[in-house]
Amino acid sequence: MSARPMDPRGEGVAAPPIDSRRDGVGAQPIDSRGEGMGARPIDPRAWLLWAVAATVPPLVGRNPFVLLATTLAVLGVWAAWRNAAAEGWGRLLRLGALFALVGVLFNTLTAHVGDRPFARLPDAWPLVGGPLTVNALAYGLLSGLAVFGLLLVGTTLGATLDWATLLRLLPDRLHAVAVTGAVAWALVPQTLRAFAEVREAQAARGHRLRSPRDAGPLLVPLLAGSLERSQTLAEALEARGFGAPLPPEATLGRGRRWRGPATAAGLTLATVGAYGLAMGSLAIALGGLGLGAAVLWAAGRARGGGPRRTRYREPAWDRRAWLVAGSAGAVLAVELAVLALQPAAFAYDPYPSILLPAVSPPLLAAVGLLLVPAALR
Amino acid sequence: MSAVAATLERVRFAYPGQPEAALDGVDWDLAAGTLTLLAGPSGSGKSTLLRCLNGLVPHFTGGRFGGRVRVAGRDTRETPPRALAAEVGFVFQDPEAQFVTTRVDDEIAFGMEQLGVAPATMRRRVDETLERLGIGALRCREVSTLSGGERQKVAIAAALAPQPRILALDEPTSQLDPWSAEEVLAAVAALHRDRGLTVVLAEHRLSRVLVLADRMRLLGSGGRAVGDGPPAAVLTLLERDALPPLAALGRALGWAPLPLSMDDARDRVAADRRAGRIPVEPECDSPSAGGAPAIEVAGLVAGYGRAPVLRGVDFAARPGELVALMGRNGSGKTTLLRTLLGFQAAERGRVTVMGREVGRARPADLAERVGYVPQNPSSILFAETLREELAFTLRFHPRGHRAEETLAGLGLAWAAARHPRDLSGGERERAALAAILVGNPSVLLLDEPTRGMDAASKLAMVETLRRRCREGVTVVLATHDVELAAAATRVVMLEEGRIVADGGPRRVLPATPAYATPINALYGGRFLTPEDVLTGLDGRVAEAAVLAGSGGRP
Repeated sequence: MSARPMDPRGEGVAAPPIDSRRDGVGAQPIDSRGEGMGARPIDPRAWLLWAVAATVPPLVGRNPFVLLATTLAVLGVWAAWRNAAAEGWGRLLRLGALFALVGVLFNTLTAHVGDRPFARLPDAWPLVGGPLTVNALAYGLLSGLAVFGLLLVGTTLGATLDWATLLRLLPDRLHAVAVTGAVAWALVPQTLRAFAEVREAQAARGHRLRSPRDAGPLLVPLLAGSLERSQTLAEALEARGFGAPLPPEATLGRGRRWRGPATAAGLTLATVGAYGLAMGSLAIALGGLGLGAAVLWAAGRARGGGPRRTRYREPAWDRRAWLVAGSAGAVLAVELAVLALQPAAFAYDPYPSILLPAVSPPLLAAVGLLLVPAALR
Repeated sequence: MSAVAATLERVRFAYPGQPEAALDGVDWDLAAGTLTLLAGPSGSGKSTLLRCLNGLVPHFTGGRFGGRVRVAGRDTRETPPRALAAEVGFVFQDPEAQFVTTRVDDEIAFGMEQLGVAPATMRRRVDETLERLGIGALRCREVSTLSGGERQKVAIAAALAPQPRILALDEPTSQLDPWSAEEVLAAVAALHRDRGLTVVLAEHRLSRVLVLADRMRLLGSGGRAVGDGPPAAVLTLLERDALPPLAALGRALGWAPLPLSMDDARDRVAADRRAGRIPVEPECDSPSAGGAPAIEVAGLVAGYGRAPVLRGVDFAARPGELVALMGRNGSGKTTLLRTLLGFQAAERGRVTVMGREVGRARPADLAERVGYVPQNPSSILFAETLREELAFTLRFHPRGHRAEETLAGLGLAWAAARHPRDLSGGERERAALAAILVGNPSVLLLDEPTRGMDAASKLAMVETLRRRCREGVTVVLATHDVELAAAATRVVMLEEGRIVADGGPRRVLPATPAYATPINALYGGRFLTPEDVLTGLDGRVAEAAVLAGSGGRP
């Protein structure tokens, strides 16, 4: 006896997709307090806007007050939203803190500039020889804080971002790239967990990392294991129809030819804008991001041809998304205004003398708004 | 003649760079609506054959492919796996490795989104699939918070939601505790029974599956069928070591046909009893080994974050003991092993191994006396050859064993020059064990050592462990495998971080129904293995001696 399966596309075509605030027909409502349920996710677009606002201070300057306020705010959000899945990201954070400390040490030992020496290494010592200054230590600490802050934003996104919804938001043309990116992103914590396992297993065997030559027993299983995991996942994606040819009725007819190039151009402009922001060039940042967003919006609005993936859930833009996006938008607006009118508020340079950093109350107050998502868990 | 769901004609296949063919002239008509069990030793081509059904072989794997596979009228040489996704659902060994999204219903819908299924249909099918597998309550859960069994059911649901004609499962229960394995197999059996779904299942653990299968296909070398037909008939072709316990007993007692289920076996036992063939119950477990404990744990509380995993564990193991730690996934078995190694800090309590307090000892000092094989054996394999892998351990353990002897003891002498990662799952497990055993540890800790192992490999491993125990080594292993636990000298049962039973296997295993061996479920009392029964029957002692190697007591 053989069960005759239905057409995989099913018979219904006109019904709207479900809203992510609901839970499907006849299902229980999502309970954010239930065991293992995690918090009800906030729309990923709101999170991305929050992340942009949170990355501006560490990217554009080294003002200790601004950096500290931003890092504390992001830390609050991370602490509120971390979940079972965040364990691997926590490892990345610890690793980042370690790298930041190494950076502090490196800067202190190699930048022999400043008016506040506190020790001196023999001049004959290459690179590190010379005076060690509080100025170099301060700059190293601020740079470490900035790196740690950026990493913290990334790990918070890693723990909170609803990738499935984000994938559904992207244009179909970017679907394959987006899934690949999501999978690569998910592999980061898995790889860190795997590294901890390998390190423990080899340590129990007697292995100690004393020189670079001892890295083989740690790196080979890690790399080989990562490749095996990636291969299994790729195999699973293939077996589950990722990139499958769609039936003709699933396509939306002939699309406008400019849509593809426009999407690429929009992404390029946005990248240039982000680079301008990182370099502290407000004109390039505003121009690139603004134009990029406009082109991407236009490309997204145009009905495109080619295959059309269907969506199980439509993203839900709810009150919490408004709150996160609204507060992040306000932070971003203040940041851009300060960048345009009072760029020194972000900046600080402990060379050649350590002076009191500038304090911008509006900027510090705005950065405090980055904490809003912590209250929405 | 019944309809055919898939046809393989003279299929030959070799993986890239491999001289030997994994499949060598395989012909197979997979009957529609059947539940077919693929059995055979490691390396016989079970996984490869499954992957032929959806075209992963050769489209994904590469390699040399000959012959033809037709599924739903389509030639897999001309149809890529993604185009066959609506016809063949595939479930992998490790569910975690195949998840793409973070939420259960998103994961189930993912495949349908790729196939362009209409949203309303998708919603309905997600509901139906959740309901059918009895996991409706998991709909909104994050997959990272699910238990092993729940994850595997979600993976099956995701494969089923596009309504394929064929469901292929590659050792779906190998990583699950007995409860979860039962649940998953029951769900698969219900799908097959209620919907007439064609199911192909590759498994090493035959006991639970035999009773569910309509057909059994026993593979020999090159994936060719040694036997194909009703399980009771094909079972007779298996080597004695590879037989599940009920069938092994049945063969020794001359039962025909061999029993597949407990009900079959009960009828035979009842008949034997009527005929006066009643086995004498085995003696109680022999007392524990004497001497100072090699491991001492007192009042141990340990865990991750706020919730402790271990909540006050007191435990000691002496030289010569083979201790099986058992309990559901998450009960604290791995955490206990990790605290013995010092990888998991104790929040409270004291842990001493070989006279050294773990929290204070240097890791290098502990490593001199303690060997550890992790759950994933690939974590320690890095060398170009297995011989070099063992030589690496000997660098840190100059008083270790000879590499050749260690490999031979585990049946791996032939693999000394092979790359460890070219070995199958069960062979890798034994390779990792060899890499640790060669260092001659006084305490050996093993985490799920029989995962993915076939019966012959398991037998070789048990024999090696027993030999080391006789030499005074203390072995502690975490396992779900009741046949392995029956071979231990002691079983420690953990539940929610506490020891709830501790004693000989004849006392502890029968007290927990899910962990009772099939022989115990049949005869009750202190019977655990086929040779217990045979020894208890007059005139069967010689037969018992022959069987004593297959999962029996030391």
